[in-house]
Amino acid sequence: MGGNRGGTTMFAGVDRIAVMLYAALTLVGLAAILSASWDETAANMFDMSHKYMKQAMWLGVAWFFGVVVLLLDGSIWHKFAYYAYALGILALVATLLLGREVNGAKAWFEFGSVRVQPMEFVKIAIALATARAMSEYSFSLSKAGDVFRIAVIILLPLGITILQNDTGSGLVLGSFLFVLYREGLNKWICIPILFIALLFIVSFFISPTVLLVALIAIFVLSEAMMNRRWRICVQYVAGLFLCSIVIKLVFDLVLPNGFEYYKSLLIATLLSLVVVLWYAYRHNLRNIYLSTAIFFLSMTFMPTSDYIFNSVLKPHQKDRIESFLGLTSDFNRDYNVNQSKIAIGSGGFFGKGYMQGTQIRYNFVPEKHTDFIFCTIGEEEGFVGAVIVLLLMGALILRIMGMGDRQQEPFGRVYCYCVAAILLFHTLVNVGMTMGIVPVMGIPLPFISYGGSSLVAFTILVFVAFALDASTRKGLPVYGIRR
Amino acid sequence: MMTDNGQLPKRALILRTVVLIVFVCLILRLGYIQLFDKRYDEMARNNFLRCEVKYPPRGEVFDRNGEYLVQSRECYDLMAVWRDMPKTGFDTARMCRITGSNIRKLRQAFANARMRPRVGVQIATYLSAEEKLQIDEMYVAGLYTVPRTVRQYPRKIGGNLLGEVCEVSANIIKRDDYYGVGDYIGITGLEAAYEKVLRGEKGLILRDIYARYGERDTVLQAAVPGQAIVCTIDAKLQQFAEELMDGKIGAVVAIEPSTGEILVMVSSPTFDPDKLVGRERSNNYMRLLNHSRQPLFNRAVKSEYPPGSTFKLVNGLIGLQEGVLTTHNIYPCNHGYNYGKIHVGCHEHSSPLGLHYAIATSCNAYFCYVFRNILENKKYRSVKDAYEVWYDYVRSFGFGDRLGSDFLGEKRGRVPTRESYDKLYRRSWNALTVLSLAIGQGELGCTPLQMANLAAIVANRGYYYIPHIVRSIEGRDSIDARFYEKHYTKVEPRHFEPIVEGMWRGVNTEGGTGRTACLAGYDVCGKTGTAQNPRGADHSTFISFAPRNNPRIAIAVYVEHGGFGASAAVPIASLIEEMYLTGEVKRDWLVDYVKNKQINYSRYGR
Repeated sequence: MGGNRGGTTMFAGVDRIAVMLYAALTLVGLAAILSASWDETAANMFDMSHKYMKQAMWLGVAWFFGVVVLLLDGSIWHKFAYYAYALGILALVATLLLGREVNGAKAWFEFGSVRVQPMEFVKIAIALATARAMSEYSFSLSKAGDVFRIAVIILLPLGITILQNDTGSGLVLGSFLFVLYREGLNKWICIPILFIALLFIVSFFISPTVLLVALIAIFVLSEAMMNRRWRICVQYVAGLFLCSIVIKLVFDLVLPNGFEYYKSLLIATLLSLVVVLWYAYRHNLRNIYLSTAIFFLSMTFMPTSDYIFNSVLKPHQKDRIESFLGLTSDFNRDYNVNQSKIAIGSGGFFGKGYMQGTQIRYNFVPEKHTDFIFCTIGEEEGFVGAVIVLLLMGALILRIMGMGDRQQEPFGRVYCYCVAAILLFHTLVNVGMTMGIVPVMGIPLPFISYGGSSLVAFTILVFVAFALDASTRKGLPVYGIRR
Repeated sequence: MMTDNGQLPKRALILRTVVLIVFVCLILRLGYIQLFDKRYDEMARNNFLRCEVKYPPRGEVFDRNGEYLVQSRECYDLMAVWRDMPKTGFDTARMCRITGSNIRKLRQAFANARMRPRVGVQIATYLSAEEKLQIDEMYVAGLYTVPRTVRQYPRKIGGNLLGEVCEVSANIIKRDDYYGVGDYIGITGLEAAYEKVLRGEKGLILRDIYARYGERDTVLQAAVPGQAIVCTIDAKLQQFAEELMDGKIGAVVAIEPSTGEILVMVSSPTFDPDKLVGRERSNNYMRLLNHSRQPLFNRAVKSEYPPGSTFKLVNGLIGLQEGVLTTHNIYPCNHGYNYGKIHVGCHEHSSPLGLHYAIATSCNAYFCYVFRNILENKKYRSVKDAYEVWYDYVRSFGFGDRLGSDFLGEKRGRVPTRESYDKLYRRSWNALTVLSLAIGQGELGCTPLQMANLAAIVANRGYYYIPHIVRSIEGRDSIDARFYEKHYTKVEPRHFEPIVEGMWRGVNTEGGTGRTACLAGYDVCGKTGTAQNPRGADHSTFISFAPRNNPRIAIAVYVEHGGFGASAAVPIASLIEEMYLTGEVKRDWLVDYVKNKQINYSRYGR
């Protein structure tokens, strides 16, 4: 971990490489926004109405906040973590009640001409609260109560964002799995969740029966791996399918039109959950409760079936659920992704040159300053430029993870991993969506996308990590006395 | 928290691997779409580049004296690319006003554009430069104009002669790769005959539609302007002839005998060619098409008229060549020709008479004798064999087949074959059965062009050049080789002199049928014709050339139902000759007579 120690006393112990990576990314962002919003016909190029001028101003504000964070005593983050969290939840609820609706999501506050998405800032609070909770003295992820507490901390704001119809931003919190794994969550819970996330993305392409069978297989397998009770798992699967066939035959006899196998499997599965829970209770297998809960949630959250989706729900409800899932049935979605792919794909190896991108210039790419800013880089700077940006981002994430591992106290470690997870999720989803490998969710590319509140929030997010790291390295206690 | 030996815990390493895998995936995907998948380059170009056809200006047409017959005028087509158009709509009412279209047509046009949202679809045509600027001022995205040229006719003459230009039909597009939707093509007359010369070559331009106009154009293929054509027509003479023919139905064709160049070609009634250009084209076209006198029908090359007495020249020449007629032969005429039950009437003149006088007075009886002598020649085994010989002679004068002029749609005319008579009369026919051929009646049909050609043959004393309408083409040394070739008839040149003498007498001596055509000092020769027809009054016709020696003009005038040759056709032909030979017309009274002459065309309706 070759950080630069020393230097001025004010910023002693600050990881300069990480700060430089951060600064490089924000400057790349500003340059990209300048290119995307450059208007050669505008009279005054320094007019504050230009997007790049606004962003430059916000960059100044962000750096100011970054410096302030570094100057603050490192212990306050631990101290005020829960207050910040409470404030954040309040802000989210207030937005839900009083906020302004933008693109169908009621997730914004408007102060004059400045629009703020509270979730950007609440992320910091959630990360702090998670870190605080997980750094409690007797905290253990093998204790159901502790897991439940973490789940509440993470899922409460997620629930509110869902109510705000801003699921995209909320799903970022799913990336906290990354942290939970680092802190010792059983991998046989993490892996099924990842698989579910994958199924979630492809759920619209596969039939509900296959989806259900896949879900059952994932969970049974994970249970078997966790508890090493292969026999009973095989028996369970065999019993389940036998049961589903019997149900189907019975209903076939009763109903004149026959009965879908999918429905009988669904009924059998739901019935079997009772048996599973009884079994878990008898053998005191706590992890089964968790798995069952996740299974049940994924069954209801995911459109596991065309049955529920198509026959029970009315079309407008279906649309609402699709948009609720972030998979907005926006008419222009495919068009946007396609144009974004065209812009990036036409960049080639060295790109078309700064400010020479035709797709950007001619407005083929939607949201070219914000969510699709990566297109500007991909088209104008080509493969080389885009890879450099990705490498900068990757280096920063690894650097922050390194900071986490350097921490002597779990609070700092958990916080740093939260930051890394958030950055990783944003980068993966944002860049992935511009290249058409991830569904479109309206979340920004950290440090690069246009938007003052997002830039300031991300800056504070990472600078708190830098500050915690600096405190550790200066040898100061991060937060007073452990309780 | 590091482990004691300074190693990272296993899970920290796994998570670093996860981060690396995520970034490797992103970079691989990036590399795939940027470096390997080449489709996106093209799609990006398609986004902002548009292939535009650059239409070349169509070649212009001059008359023989360098005066414009057809000019090209600039106009614009309005095109729309639906994809680029504002979805919020625009001022369609204003657009209707500018393009002179109505809202229904405009909606239809935009509906078409919507069907093919990525390509330019024609919305309106024939916009003037001013209207184009008004459209440009509306600043509607997705609309652009394509410069075109349309035809303009300074003298408004020669509608059928010059032909018309219109948009290509789907059939032509299917047949000919060169043409695409919206192209113009010449479909009649000169425009059709010399389409390949006049049209030039279309160009292709790749245009950056978002750049300032023309700033980043790539010329894929330069447009080659159409070549100009110098016509053999004399514009002044053509206009004069059209004025004289106004109100009459028929045709005038004048040829320069020494070259075969067509000086005048009038098909009457004619029309203003400017009417068939522009937005009103289809309306005007339908009006002309449904007109009872059929102005779109080019009578000069498409009408097969009975030649009447003018055909006596041919029979006389054949008789002389065959030796069955000499200038000393004298036949009686007793108000016509009588043989058995057959009677061919004739008008009042002195009798008996010789060849010169027979031509001058156009005696029917005389030529019935001549015709019978030709067919009943003892040289040949039968009348039918003799008829075949006669047929070959007639064909050598250019009758019964296309002359091969540069007019498309030229008619063959009719000269009945031996077989057709065999069929008609069930093999039992003789010279008397087909006697009406002697005086150019019966089954004969000639186009006015063929008749003018006959005048040119006689003027040349035995040969003709194929009549043609193009004198020279820009950038070419010569016109088609067939127009430089002399075509000799089967009658030797020496036999023409008596016929010419007869034609001269017909104009210049007392008792001649074409006295009106006499022009002092120009030795006009001519032969009138009065063709009987089953549809009404006789057709009036006159073929003539002048001067007698070194003739400069040979002319055929055909006026449907004009009565005697002398009453309608002769004055018209004479005035045209006077205009051409002297450069002016002094006989104003004759002009007035011609212009005021009313002919009743009951057959054609009003």
